[in-house]
Amino acid sequence: MSDAAEAHIEQVHHPGATTYLIVAAFLVVLTAMEVTVFYVHALRPVLVPLLLILSAAKFALVAMFYMHLRYDGTLVSGIFIFPLAIATFLLITLVLLFGYLSHHLAPIINLGGG
Amino acid sequence: MAAQPKPLPIFQPNYLEGGGLLGWLTTIDHKRIAVLYMATALVFMAIGGIEAMLIRVQLWEPNNTFLSAGTYNELFTMHGTTMIFLVVMPLLIGFFGNFMIPLHIGARDVAFPRLNALSFWMALVAGITLHLGWIRGGLPDAGWFGYANLTERYFSPTLALDWWVVGLLISGTSTILSAVNFLTTIITMRAPGMSYMRIPMFMWAMMITSILILLAFPPLTVGLIFLLLDRFFGTHFYVATAGATPILWQHLFWLFGHPEVYVMALPGFGIISEVLPAFSRKPLFGYPMMAYSIVLIAFLSYGVWGHHMFATGMGPVADSAFAITSMLIAIPTGIKVFSWIATVWGGSLRMTTAFYFALAMVLEFTIGGLSGVMHASAPVDLQQTDSYFVVAHFHYVLFGGVMFAILAGFYYWWPKVTGRLFSESIGKWHFWLTVIGFNVTFFPMHFLGMWGMPRRIYTYAPDLGWTGLNQLETVGAFVLGVAFLLFYINIYWSLRYGEKAPADPWDGRSLEWSVASPPPVYNFALLPNVRGRDAWWILKYGRAGSRGVAAYVAGQPPKPPEPEAPVDLSHVHMPPPSIFPLVVSLGVGLMGLGLIVGWYRIILIGGIVTIMSIIGMGFEYKDYGQAVHDPEHAPSSGGIDVRKVGVWCFLGSECVFFASLISTFIVYKSRSIGAPGAEILEIPLTSFSTFILLMSSLLMVLALAATQRGDKVWERIWLAGTVFFGLIFLSGQAYEFTHFYHEGMGYTTNLFSQSFYTLVGFHGAHVAIGVLWLSVLLVAAITGRLGKSRALSIELAGLYWHFVDVVWIVIFTLVYLMQTVHGA
Amino acid sequence: MRASRFSLLALVSALASIVAGCEQSAQLPMTTLAPKSDLGEAIHHLFLEVTAWDALIFVIVIVAFTLAVFVFSTRAGEAAPPSQASSDLTLEVAWTVGPALVLLMISIPTVRTIFRSQPEVAPKGSLEIKVVAHQWWWEFDYPDGHKTANEMHIPTGQPIRLRLESADIIHSFWVPALGGKRDVVPGQINHLTFIANTPGDYPGQCAEFCGLSHANMRFRVFVQTPDDFAMWQKEQLAGPATPLPNDQLAVQGAQYFATSPCTACHTVEGVSKGYIGPNLTHFGSRTTLAAGVLKNDPADVAAWITDPQKIKPGAYMPALVLPGPKLNALVAYLESLK
Repeated sequence: MSDAAEAHIEQVHHPGATTYLIVAAFLVVLTAMEVTVFYVHALRPVLVPLLLILSAAKFALVAMFYMHLRYDGTLVSGIFIFPLAIATFLLITLVLLFGYLSHHLAPIINLGGG
Repeated sequence: MAAQPKPLPIFQPNYLEGGGLLGWLTTIDHKRIAVLYMATALVFMAIGGIEAMLIRVQLWEPNNTFLSAGTYNELFTMHGTTMIFLVVMPLLIGFFGNFMIPLHIGARDVAFPRLNALSFWMALVAGITLHLGWIRGGLPDAGWFGYANLTERYFSPTLALDWWVVGLLISGTSTILSAVNFLTTIITMRAPGMSYMRIPMFMWAMMITSILILLAFPPLTVGLIFLLLDRFFGTHFYVATAGATPILWQHLFWLFGHPEVYVMALPGFGIISEVLPAFSRKPLFGYPMMAYSIVLIAFLSYGVWGHHMFATGMGPVADSAFAITSMLIAIPTGIKVFSWIATVWGGSLRMTTAFYFALAMVLEFTIGGLSGVMHASAPVDLQQTDSYFVVAHFHYVLFGGVMFAILAGFYYWWPKVTGRLFSESIGKWHFWLTVIGFNVTFFPMHFLGMWGMPRRIYTYAPDLGWTGLNQLETVGAFVLGVAFLLFYINIYWSLRYGEKAPADPWDGRSLEWSVASPPPVYNFALLPNVRGRDAWWILKYGRAGSRGVAAYVAGQPPKPPEPEAPVDLSHVHMPPPSIFPLVVSLGVGLMGLGLIVGWYRIILIGGIVTIMSIIGMGFEYKDYGQAVHDPEHAPSSGGIDVRKVGVWCFLGSECVFFASLISTFIVYKSRSIGAPGAEILEIPLTSFSTFILLMSSLLMVLALAATQRGDKVWERIWLAGTVFFGLIFLSGQAYEFTHFYHEGMGYTTNLFSQSFYTLVGFHGAHVAIGVLWLSVLLVAAITGRLGKSRALSIELAGLYWHFVDVVWIVIFTLVYLMQTVHGA
Repeated sequence: MRASRFSLLALVSALASIVAGCEQSAQLPMTTLAPKSDLGEAIHHLFLEVTAWDALIFVIVIVAFTLAVFVFSTRAGEAAPPSQASSDLTLEVAWTVGPALVLLMISIPTVRTIFRSQPEVAPKGSLEIKVVAHQWWWEFDYPDGHKTANEMHIPTGQPIRLRLESADIIHSFWVPALGGKRDVVPGQINHLTFIANTPGDYPGQCAEFCGLSHANMRFRVFVQTPDDFAMWQKEQLAGPATPLPNDQLAVQGAQYFATSPCTACHTVEGVSKGYIGPNLTHFGSRTTLAAGVLKNDPADVAAWITDPQKIKPGAYMPALVLPGPKLNALVAYLESLK
């Protein structure tokens, strides 16, 4: 069956150890950059965008190379990216909605514990 | 014959026969599981219906004392919970979905038959758990929506809500597993030629419903977990005095709750889209638009949950946004209604009971849809929400729309499921009494709502003018009760005396009518080769054009189905039955039970049973993890193993799970009172942990590469390394937690501490599960049971492991490095 | 055709009941269809607009459905062949664009009303009343310091700004005649802003399920002319009435009350300072009792004191079993607190 043959070829498509090692090197460098950004005071104003870009890059590297999204075709990419988009949308919306509510807080009585 | 390896007996008549009780307990046949779902759902439907009638009796007159306030609250809570989680969803997804998906797409079973059985047994355990309050603590009584903070232990001290929380958690897990299964099945197992634009509309509905479930249930799970932690472990996720807000529950609940409406409605739409064409002798009108409108409804349904919360004070901007997105849903819904009418238009109608229900659904659902447009208009909703107007609205949607569709589906597919025909005359009585009872019960509720009657009140004053309509509704409810009694009688009559059904009693259009009624275990002896939409119609009459119609009008008998026997069945591999799904569910049920009654030994036993039987299930088949792509079993997977697709579907669901946890953390970080706050977090230690986890991912892919090369030595080394690094990460986390604890940051100290520990703890639990999974694989590798042909086992574990890694990348940035940044 | 006659009958009777319903409803105490405030009117206006559009669409659907089922189709067995049409671009565009236009027509006034009905700050000259919801009663705190329970008085013509707070769990403030509901959420301050325009006595009720006695969490709003309201306010600001010396029973009751367990939860200005339960300073001036469940007359007050849980399941007020004379004295005292 040609499909079956394809399936075996698909396995071969996966990258070898060299690619994995290069990706790992990038991951380490990006993490180091993130930590550096955190400690460098001058970068405070752009902390959020910088960190977001760096971590998105790491996320993408792992997803594309280690999780083989780059090699396994659009089907599995779609299965992952759509939920990811919904999850991001959900996160942003909830933070915004509660941001509005935080202007309408009632005085709080602290009940021990804290 | 004898030389062939274990052929299925050719004359195996149908899936219902043989096996005895044990056969049913261990079955993994999608059709038997569907029947099990149906049987349990019918029992729960009777319970839920009786609950509704008791509610109506209590409302017969003002200041009625038939029920106490407490009992009334239990009844409406259980009526809602039962009907949604134990009746409508099991019937639509568990019964119709399970039975029809493989038959509709031309497959022999679902992608993961044992997972399918697991879903059912867990659903059953959940249903029983929800009702165990009879024995101790009382039935749940905070409404099916369980709004915090009424659900806190302080306000609801009994065990009643504990049963509810645990029951819903188990039920949600079961539903997510079903969704993974069905989505994978429809994506990968469509018969040759069965492209997305040729699958029956019910399949579109089931596919999109599965996606909805995957992305909508995680917020509910997270909300329930918070409630569970609040009730059992003293956290304050919904306690305002600690700075938290009960509104968080509403957001998480409706993030689930609104898509949930479409989880119930879309399969109903799908059924109607099958029944109307079949009895009108016409193809479904506007197939592409019908498919796209399903997709659009599903997509929009994630952006409308706020319309359940207009009264909570979200502010004018959010109100307007949610109002507009909610209105937009009316457009694809309108397309569906008009297309259904156009489907009937010009048809040659066969007025069966199934068709009656489908036609009635179109009208009743339209009423519910139109009152929905009123609720979308936020200011109007402020008068209508939480009044009987809303009760009328959603019963027109969920009963007039969904339940009518379910009944249409019952009358349509019953011959296929049981091999017997229903009595059409009892059916017609059932139909008319349902229509009358339904409208008499629910239409007046619009007025009661406009006259100011709030929902969920067990009594009302005599001087408000509500009595007359309430009495009318109670009469209607009893008419409805009689109607459903007739339905049960019809089921009994049909099973006992019903006429034997031919394979294709309605001259149907889709593939299920090409096989015997009831179908054989393997569904199709030969996978059908699909040449167009309405695959079976084309096989019978040729293309859907004039030739087919001419043949039909001329009264020509359709071409007989391809002869079933004697086909060589040696190529058909049906998986053997398995007891593990049942055992796993029992283990899960034990854990829940132990937690609720506080008997921790039972939790331990349940946990061990669950884990051991999951591992047992993993190695039950000899060919586990073997990357042999068999086109016979996954013809449309595009070369990707079904298990891989399944794991990805699950990971998609996990994205939303973690997003809910992370949003809670961000929101609560800025509302937390007192020290400690985010400044307690230590970057050097966590940077090291991050490094370790990233490196473990590297080792994981190296292990995979070694396996794919067939290098058994390095396979073991890298796997062991991954496990080791995972353990280092976990120890780092253990160290971090104890360190924080000694600095005075207890689990329940403040909002920051509890949301931090919960988020990071759940990630840690995922790592721990990953370590366990990899350890099992390591043992398998050392004992020589892995190897090149089973590289898939490692790849799947790897996908999960890397996912846990990317979640950590996000947590590391948002939680640790952005510690000085506060939410808006 | 029997079916068509049947559905026609059903349709006609449904329409008749709708008309009858609307006529009858204007007189009902809790109807939303006879608004008595600017907010209520704005909502009602929008409601009528949406309903009109809905009705139009419903008629189109009904007509199309009837034509499809009863006119432009045949029955199985009849000779005419079924049409095999499965798409029609014009039609499909029409029923996509048509509803979209209708929704546009609805969404514009919707958004306008949303923004108008939720002012960020109180309008000038508004009377700001703090509403505190408790399981299962309502507390109303007026800006000049007096408090009432379960009966709110407001003047016509003046903007009213309600500041909604909860003492325990989520409730919802709803007076149908005065406009839509607004949830009362612990830890959060919500507002409801409106101008009442017709004097009257309007019942309200908690609209968010809040536990055992949710159904018994009622209240009344008395909309008064500005003069009447000023008078009422003056009475409320005065201290509690002391029982007249010739009212022996009430004097006894006053003595008993001062030392009774009642004082732990209830305030009577100058006598006690409890705050768990409603303020009783002007109890006698109220028309109802127990969050609008009972009439404020001696028999009902006595019944309430003797067994609150029977009247309001779950109520936090403990039953007070008193010998007859003592009970009568206590009731007489409470009723004297005009």
